Amino acid sequence: MLVVAAQRWIDPHPRVDAMTGRVDTDARAGGASEADQCALEHALRLAERFGGRCVAVTAGPVAAEEMLRQALAAGADEVLRVDAPPGGDPVLEDGAETARVLAAGLTARYGHVDLVLCGDRSADRGTGSTPAYLAARLGAAQALGLLDVGRDGDGLRALRRLDGGRRESLAVPLPAVCSVEPTAVRLRRASLPATLAARRSEIPHVAVDAAPRGAVAVKAVRTYRPRARVLPAPSGDDARRRTLELTGALVERAPSRVVTPSSPEQAAGELLGFLRAHGYLPEERDD
Amino acid sequence: MDEPGGYAGPASKSAVVSDDSRAFDVVVVGAGPAGSASALEVARAGYTVALVERGPYPGAKNVYGGVVYGRILDELVPGWWERMPVQRWVTRRATMIMTPTQALTVDMRAQDWGRPPYNGATAYRADLDAWLADQAVAAGAVLIPATVATGLLRGPDGSVAGVRTDRPDGDLTASVVIACDGVNSFLAKEAGMYPAENVAEHTTLGVKETIALPREVIDERFGLSGRDGADIEMIGCTRGIPGGGFLYTNLESVSLGVVVGLTGLAAAKVRPEELIADLKEHPAIAPLVRGGTLQEYSAHLIPEGGYRSMPELVGDGMLVAGDAAAMCLAAGIWLEGVNFALGAGMYAGRAAAAALRSGDTSKSGLAAYRTMLEDSFVLADHRKLRKVPDLVLSQRVQADYPGLLCDLVQGLFTVENPAPKPGLRRLLRLGTRAHGVRRRDLVRDALVGLRSFG
Ligand SMILES: Cc1cc2nc3c(=O)[nH]c(=O)nc-3n(C[C@H](O)[C@H](O)[C@H](O)COP(=O)(O)OP(=O)(O)OC[C@H]3O[C@@H](n4cnc5c(N)ncnc54)[C@H](O)[C@@H]3O)c2cc1C
Repeated sequence: MLVVAAQRWIDPHPRVDAMTGRVDTDARAGGASEADQCALEHALRLAERFGGRCVAVTAGPVAAEEMLRQALAAGADEVLRVDAPPGGDPVLEDGAETARVLAAGLTARYGHVDLVLCGDRSADRGTGSTPAYLAARLGAAQALGLLDVGRDGDGLRALRRLDGGRRESLAVPLPAVCSVEPTAVRLRRASLPATLAARRSEIPHVAVDAAPRGAVAVKAVRTYRPRARVLPAPSGDDARRRTLELTGALVERAPSRVVTPSSPEQAAGELLGFLRAHGYLPEERDD
Repeated sequence: MDEPGGYAGPASKSAVVSDDSRAFDVVVVGAGPAGSASALEVARAGYTVALVERGPYPGAKNVYGGVVYGRILDELVPGWWERMPVQRWVTRRATMIMTPTQALTVDMRAQDWGRPPYNGATAYRADLDAWLADQAVAAGAVLIPATVATGLLRGPDGSVAGVRTDRPDGDLTASVVIACDGVNSFLAKEAGMYPAENVAEHTTLGVKETIALPREVIDERFGLSGRDGADIEMIGCTRGIPGGGFLYTNLESVSLGVVVGLTGLAAAKVRPEELIADLKEHPAIAPLVRGGTLQEYSAHLIPEGGYRSMPELVGDGMLVAGDAAAMCLAAGIWLEGVNFALGAGMYAGRAAAAALRSGDTSKSGLAAYRTMLEDSFVLADHRKLRKVPDLVLSQRVQADYPGLLCDLVQGLFTVENPAPKPGLRRLLRLGTRAHGVRRRDLVRDALVGLRSFG
């Protein structure tokens, strides 16, 4: 039984320039996000429950070895670093490509993987798509955005958050890919002897081939910067009026509503009603 | 969650280990400049050494204004200037004497300082500390980050036998512990090496802002080109609270800060950031930092008592180096701590290796450390300048003399036609009276200054 924790190597505390949206990261501060640390903790616990081995894996550059050492110190039996294909970004931006590289690396090294745990979404890219792609690649079941996951016989039992404070309980067969929210568990603190041993370990790595041609690839990720909108000069004849006009203060508005529909039908009804009320859809005809 | 076995907080008594085996020859606590230099020397001598650092990586938690004098590195890392992560080489060093509306500057420019073997450089601590720790690791030291030393371990005979850390199973045994844990070293305190005195009186608070500005703007405002940099030390800019200010240029930012006495700050009921705000509005400083964006605000304590506030430096199985031993030279126009920490760390590492070689790591076996320090700049400079901290932090140097000097020079350059130019003696007489300076004090302070600096 092989339980894998896939961790993305990021700077968990990047600096963001509020004006330009530029993000500054520091490789020295690189490590796993909260969610990825929870994934490792779940992986360690499940490996114990199943009497299996726990492997921490990342697709990333040599600098990411520090993160894998922390995983070793915390109790992972093995770690694996997968080199991204040369020429591209060492930490992939694209969920599909990350999943392809991880799956290829894991398969090359271990042949078969029973269970992969990921964080629900990466702190930098944040689409949460990697685990889904990974499940497809590995031909495994997927259960994403879990609050908790534990062993249930030969498979897993998992808990997921729903709207309205409800939870759904899932039965997940193996092999599976699960992603977890950064809640419920915390990564255990590594002991000193394990930390020392991890400092001296060799970190194995495998390289994978470049993506086959023809796949859609993410080229760059930029912050969204809406185009500047030209506004007419305010027409009021004193400063107060002009300010009111510009800011829209004191204008009567319908307050926004928070709705929590109890069924998909009701939710669809709400949306359609809103679009009609604002003229985006024609009025409903009674026929 | 696993709790560390038997947490020994700073105040708890040291735990006793009975077994003779030691996991490492030396444990160094703190991967600042002192710690990395120690670990480097021990590893080079062929002994095993662990370097315990509480931050997630060396330099993550460290603050300082920014000028490091690398001469001592000639001995430690030959050719350092080609590899050290430097922002700018300081080729312009100014001392500014200020009152709220005046500034008198002595401004030295030396192009020699901008080429090998260089003098001072501005550097970011995160870069510098990480680089220094890399040197130690490359030599064979084992860096243990994200780990806090929480207390000392002692052997049955009472000698220091390692440290306890905050990790489960966290005891780390060693024949020698080198405490490089920075200002307010609780390891040295736990070992009973600090005299029971009021620490606050010998401690100052350093606060600084890192302000981002484009490289060309910095070059233009400070009259620099290439990798040249400027370093301005200020006195008389802290509302009479004993202390001083500094302004250093990095490549694309400047570090602006003040260093003030804790007791004075508490008595004046001023927040340290107000002092920085004052500086940013001062007519001599405002044009230099205008339009910059604040990148970081940080604060840290500095041991400023100098020679007379140092702890014992050697114990049975233990050495203390750097800020942990109050080795920061903060005497007016000098604010040097990193070079002293590097020097002391290097000698501590050598003394530990020599003691291990001779098989005697007791206090007498380690005593060579003190001798090495006394024979070098580390203690020689501190001894020579031991009276300077008191002088620099006195009311006269802080407020009276800056006013006096500024008035004197202003008088000299003010044209009062048709009145004839005033003589210097008359200006001095007027100035001393206006600022309540007594001749006696002036002469005495001049003598202390001459003896210390001369
Ligand atoms: C605002 C300011 C400006 C300064 N400007 C200058 C300057 O321009 N030039 C200059 O030369 N000096 C300057 N200094 C002084 C200089 O920063 C210090 O003298 C120098 O850093 C001392 O080095 P150190 O290695 O002894 O201690 P530190 O640099 O303080 O390093 C101590 C290390 O120990 C670690 N540590 C502490 N306790 C523990 C523990 N229990 N377990 C594990 N790790 C621990 C800390 O995380 C830290 O990494 C300035 C200081 C300040 C505050």
